[in-house]
Amino acid sequence: MTDADTPIIYVVDDDDAMRDSLAFLIGSVGYACSCHPSAEDFLARHHPGRPGCLVADIRMPGMSGLDLQRALNERGTTLSIIFVTGHGDIPMAVRALRAGAIDFLEKPFNDQALLDRIGEAVRASREATLRQNRHAEIAQRLDGLTPRERAVLERVAGGKPNKVIAAELSISQKTVEVHRHNVMSKMGVRSAAELARLIAIKSP
Amino acid sequence: MRIVIAMIRHSILALIFLIGLTTVGLAAPTPADETARDVSIGVLAFRGGEDAEYAWGPTLRHLSATLPQYRFRLIPLGPEKLYDAVRDRQIDFLISNPGQYVEQEAAHGIARIATVAFEGGPLPSEAIGSTVFVRKDRMDLRQWSDLKGKRLIAVSPDLFGGFRIAWREFAEHGIDPLADMASLHFSGFPVKQLFDAVARGDADVGIARGCALEELAAKGSIDPSLFTVIAGHPMTGWGCVVSSRLYPDWPLAKLAHTSNTLARDVALALLSMPPGDHGQNWTIPVDYQSVHDLFRALKIGPYSHLRQGHLTETLRDYAPWLTLIAFGLVWGFVHYVRVRFLLKRRTEELNLAHSLAWRQRERMEHAARLSLMGEMASSLAHEISQPLAAIVNYAHGCQRRLEAASSMADMTASSTADMAVSAGKILAQAERASAIVHRMRDFVRKRPPAPFILDVGEVIDKTLDFFIPLIEKKRVSVHADLPPSLPPVCADRIQLEEVLLNLLQNAVEAVDGVPYGNVRIFANTDGKNVRIGVADNGTGLSGLTTEQMFEAFHTGKPQGLGLGLSLCRSIVEAHGGRIWAEAGVNGGMVMTFTLPIAEGESV
Repeated sequence: MTDADTPIIYVVDDDDAMRDSLAFLIGSVGYACSCHPSAEDFLARHHPGRPGCLVADIRMPGMSGLDLQRALNERGTTLSIIFVTGHGDIPMAVRALRAGAIDFLEKPFNDQALLDRIGEAVRASREATLRQNRHAEIAQRLDGLTPRERAVLERVAGGKPNKVIAAELSISQKTVEVHRHNVMSKMGVRSAAELARLIAIKSP
Repeated sequence: MRIVIAMIRHSILALIFLIGLTTVGLAAPTPADETARDVSIGVLAFRGGEDAEYAWGPTLRHLSATLPQYRFRLIPLGPEKLYDAVRDRQIDFLISNPGQYVEQEAAHGIARIATVAFEGGPLPSEAIGSTVFVRKDRMDLRQWSDLKGKRLIAVSPDLFGGFRIAWREFAEHGIDPLADMASLHFSGFPVKQLFDAVARGDADVGIARGCALEELAAKGSIDPSLFTVIAGHPMTGWGCVVSSRLYPDWPLAKLAHTSNTLARDVALALLSMPPGDHGQNWTIPVDYQSVHDLFRALKIGPYSHLRQGHLTETLRDYAPWLTLIAFGLVWGFVHYVRVRFLLKRRTEELNLAHSLAWRQRERMEHAARLSLMGEMASSLAHEISQPLAAIVNYAHGCQRRLEAASSMADMTASSTADMAVSAGKILAQAERASAIVHRMRDFVRKRPPAPFILDVGEVIDKTLDFFIPLIEKKRVSVHADLPPSLPPVCADRIQLEEVLLNLLQNAVEAVDGVPYGNVRIFANTDGKNVRIGVADNGTGLSGLTTEQMFEAFHTGKPQGLGLGLSLCRSIVEAHGGRIWAEAGVNGGMVMTFTLPIAEGESV
């Protein structure tokens, strides 16, 4: 596992003791922690793409936990978010969960519950990261195709025979075969079925 | 006060009385001048001028004949007039009974120059006695002790030969004729009435001058066999039976103002006087000590001050004044007691009211503090839950590390160090939570105010240290605008913090929902007061007037007792300051209060 694959737990809390103690607790089960005193600080230092979990206080001076969640969602984050709060604020919890938060924990919380949630969050984040990486790879491969090859790819993925494609694009069947070969090669697939699955992942 | 007025009034009356006396004295006839050769001889006469002339006519004629350079006049005087005449110097000489003489001697300094004597009569020093008589057939009345409680009759209380001499004898036998008799009647002259009254049985006991019985019997006015004399014994000379000891005969006395020359001339003339029709003449003055003894024994006349009844008599004489004074004293005392009582009661009432008001205020303050704490409860809960949550996290972290270490039967130096550090952090967080709890407890605890010299700036800083963490999540910016130094004030720290917290809390609530909530606390001074204000850019008055805001239980907040600002006002005013609200320049409210600068003190 490379450094980039190791999940990292981000703790964002304005309270120094809270932040430090959370890092200590989370560290006890072997996770790497990165602590930030504010949402702004976190956003400025965070490098997306690495799987992980964000444990954030929902109420903070300046940018709140929910603001941070919104900002991360806009950036297409793969981080899972767990909110912790000192106030049992149900409307806020509902908003947070709808916006994709894994959980909403009230302080002081059961350590096992937090660590379990962090475990879930890390798994989800890892999947999301893999998915995102795959998407990025597919998109990258797609970007390597010429417009003619894109047109052929769409029709191949749609299950159309070469003869039909040659007729639709008003090119020879031989030319379609060359394009099809290039597309398969560039996209790293060996069959039309594989190609179709790849495209499905890309546009769910 | 009334007593003083009464006394002043009394003094004025007394003064008027004195002036009156002096005026009378001045208006009285001047003493007869020797050169005018007018000499007045006052004579005690119970029965008027004729008797006096009869008794003393020979003496007057002898004096006139012997001393032609003087013109002698007899002036008959009743007992009262005699007093006046002596006092007012209307006469030069006085002939009176021994009793009157002794009294005037004491009162006005008259001096005897001769005593009456009778040829063939008793010794001049033993010439007067009293006869106490009863009906002879009253076998129950035989000695002095029998007379107690009986009906007594005499001529006059002023007569010496008669009542006064007998009085002493009664007294020596344990009887007070004024108090111990069934009745006491003074018949007046003539003396015969006495004997008639006793003979008739209208009275049980009679008192007469010695020899009166014999004289009346000789004239045939009474039947002497009807009467018996109590403790009777014969006088030498005349052989009259008397009941009493004997006293000197009448003196002739010069008044204090009478010249010695005149007195000597008169004395020599009197001594040279031959016995007249009744054998009456004059001898050298005898000793009147026995009369003094009588007066002293009876505590009357010059010795009346010895009398136990003296006080009673004084009281009777001065009854109106004494009543007035007594009334004044009683009134004064009652007034004093009443005033003391009222004062005590009012003081107690006042103290009670004061302590009630104080307790009331204390309760209100307490309620207000609780209310303020209630309003800040969720903030406080968060504030306390922070360190608690941190402690829980550290503890769980340690627990997990220990479990992991024991399962691996191994513990690295670094994890041991981690846990030591964490234990320290746990302690720090526990202290943090505990400090908040203490702070709250101090704040809501009932306590008497303790004013100290304070630096307002420092109190504001401390208050903000406490307050800002509580509202950190509220998106309100709170900042202080304080000069580098402020004059000291004398105030109770907790109460001052309470006012500040109330104003800050109100301001923060007022800006709730405002996009850029801003609360500014400022302080400055005008040289007499320190002025402290809290300004916000919030929603303003919330339907209350600035005056209503400071009244108890008026509140513009959905939750809250409305005690905060009324309490602020009571605290500020108790410190001698003032608190008011006004609209801010840029909207919102400015709450300002003043505290007087502590004089002559420095922080």
